[in-house]
Amino acid sequence: MHMDRAPRAPYADVKRIGIPRALLYYRYGIAWQAFFEHLGLEVVLDAPSDRLTLETGDHLSVDECCLASKLFLGHVLALVERGVDAVFVPSIMGYGRFETFCTKFQALPDLTVNAFAVAGKRVRVVSVRIDERGDESEEQAFIGLGQRFGASRKEAKRAWRAAVAAQRAYDGAMAHEQEALVKSIAKLPEADRPLTILVAAHPYVSHDPFVGGVVEDALREQGACVLFADETDRARSLKRSYDFSHSIPWMVNRELIGSILALHEVIDGIVLMSAYPCGPDSMCDDAIERCIKGKPILTLTVDAQAGTAGVETRVESFVDILSYQKKGGYLNA
Amino acid sequence: MRSFQSTPEQGVGEPRAKEQTEERGRIVMKSGSPRPLFFTGKRPRRDRHSRRKVSFFHFRSYEPAFKYFTEQVLDADFVPTPTPTRATIKRGEEMSADYVCTPFKHIIGDYAAALDQGADVLVQVTGFCRLNYYGELQEMILREAGYDGFQMLNFSYVPSGKIRDYIAYCKKIVNPNLSVAHGIKNLLGAYRMVEHIDAVRDRYLANAGFEVEHGSFARVRKQFLSDMNAATTNAQIEEGFRRAMDAFDALPIEKPVDPVRVGIVGEYYTAQDPTSCLNVEQKLLDMGVELSNAMSISAFNLHYNARAAQARVAEYCAYDMGPTSTFNIDAAKRYAEAGYDGIIHIKSAGCTPEIDVMPVLQRLSREEHVPVLFLTFDTQTSDAGLDTRLEAFYDMIAMRKVRS
Repeated sequence: MHMDRAPRAPYADVKRIGIPRALLYYRYGIAWQAFFEHLGLEVVLDAPSDRLTLETGDHLSVDECCLASKLFLGHVLALVERGVDAVFVPSIMGYGRFETFCTKFQALPDLTVNAFAVAGKRVRVVSVRIDERGDESEEQAFIGLGQRFGASRKEAKRAWRAAVAAQRAYDGAMAHEQEALVKSIAKLPEADRPLTILVAAHPYVSHDPFVGGVVEDALREQGACVLFADETDRARSLKRSYDFSHSIPWMVNRELIGSILALHEVIDGIVLMSAYPCGPDSMCDDAIERCIKGKPILTLTVDAQAGTAGVETRVESFVDILSYQKKGGYLNA
Repeated sequence: MRSFQSTPEQGVGEPRAKEQTEERGRIVMKSGSPRPLFFTGKRPRRDRHSRRKVSFFHFRSYEPAFKYFTEQVLDADFVPTPTPTRATIKRGEEMSADYVCTPFKHIIGDYAAALDQGADVLVQVTGFCRLNYYGELQEMILREAGYDGFQMLNFSYVPSGKIRDYIAYCKKIVNPNLSVAHGIKNLLGAYRMVEHIDAVRDRYLANAGFEVEHGSFARVRKQFLSDMNAATTNAQIEEGFRRAMDAFDALPIEKPVDPVRVGIVGEYYTAQDPTSCLNVEQKLLDMGVELSNAMSISAFNLHYNARAAQARVAEYCAYDMGPTSTFNIDAAKRYAEAGYDGIIHIKSAGCTPEIDVMPVLQRLSREEHVPVLFLTFDTQTSDAGLDTRLEAFYDMIAMRKVRS
């Protein structure tokens, strides 16, 4: 029996909970939102990132932090200013020996609390530790979290099941859509096929309008068909990535690599995008460039200072080169 | 030839009785070498030594322990990594991606140098964060750079983490005839050697700033490391350590009652390795500071109680924030509580976990009233800027000490 002096439901007074629209929100956000809504809480999301988010976040962070982490703190501050009771920041370790996350995700709740304390601001963080390498499964962790909000075990379990179902439905739909797109392209005669480009980046880079939005827009403007590596079926990609490497420890990078391997035949080029300075990408992108041959790769590093013009130019010239190449060289264009 | 004749009242081998009546038996002993014994259960010792040439990377002063591990545990040849020079570092930098963490660049430079020296097995350890993937990527880069005919002893390839699997892996790559019993006995020696190297380091950092005869502490340390390098048995390790400690005891020092004390915490590799951190420790010692460095193999890998440390820093972080985060926060807190005058946090450029520790240390600095200096090292080779910062930090804490 557990004899804790701490109250059993320390979060019982939280009615409005904020979820920052950054980092792993782009991966698990739907599940989190559904989980809290099923517990009867009001979920507050802030607006997508913009320059102001970055500026406020930058102010709160140590200079050397990665762009995505600065944006995250900006989003937390935006939520705090909107008057939420607490902000949900989980600490995510991983799901297996070589299926972990960047240590940033492990540190996030404490990083947020301390960064705010240093800046003289207050924030209340609701957190949960997810570490399936230990003896607690993700489900157990979330049931425990639900109980800390005052829900019964059964209610918490039901909320978690609903959350998983919602996230799975969304991910499944995305994967299905991508498969259908790939199939329809393959059906077209060789000459009519559009230029297909795979964007391989962490979801919080490729789907954040402020970071990766520019690249996606530029690609679409050039008439390219854009596939996202993080939308490919995750479980299959993860499994596939073990053909590429035994010891890459990051799950998201594994899935991206698995997706590149799976879609290698159908795509014309790859855009590797990362937020400066991303630790996992610093090694994985190097490995991808060394090992994945036969398809042109554009490596884009997005940082806080960059305007969009430079990125657009690079994307345009990449697409130009690819389309010339597809037509059989410059002379035939 | 002697002959013996025995009688009922006479023992075997006794001189013949004078009056013998009857001859009952006779023992005849041949001269010359004795007949060899068979089936005694003892076989001549087989040569278990492997001719593989094993090399590690350069890491602080642990090379004697790496050597002992290779020669006495793996029972193979050891190729020492040449002392890193500017060229080694440059080489490593050119071979790696731009913003990969700095230890990666140092280590791959060392590997290239070791392969030039004829090594054919490179050892890479496993652990946390990016270190898990170091071995595989470094192998890939080195092969692409044209180095062939080497194998990697990459402990990331033993995902189970079981001793049995590590042994099987070492046998496969380095020495199939490895004696496990012998290896385990000497592994204990290597363990002790690491502890001793760290104890000598700690002693050196605490007192070398106050030596009377310039260079006397460095001399003892050098002698100790060369003793360790020459050691081939566990007993020699202990003896060398005792000798070094006695020599330290005998050295005169002029230490003030209340010296300026500085504690060092930081990223595992950079905070310890003098090549990576431009020898920060020696620079501080030259200013006359009592130093303590929290990070070492013994402190972090051998004697670290993660759970206790986590409990001690609960007020600063609810969860373990990264590979060495809790350790560093705990160490910084203890330095603050022990009344150290300043703390220096050392990390390599782009080290995510240590960047995340920085706000915590900033808060700790504010709440415990202890100055913290944050230093970031890349593969730069100029130390003028560093000197200025260290001097300013020293002046600040020394003045603060006088005032209080």
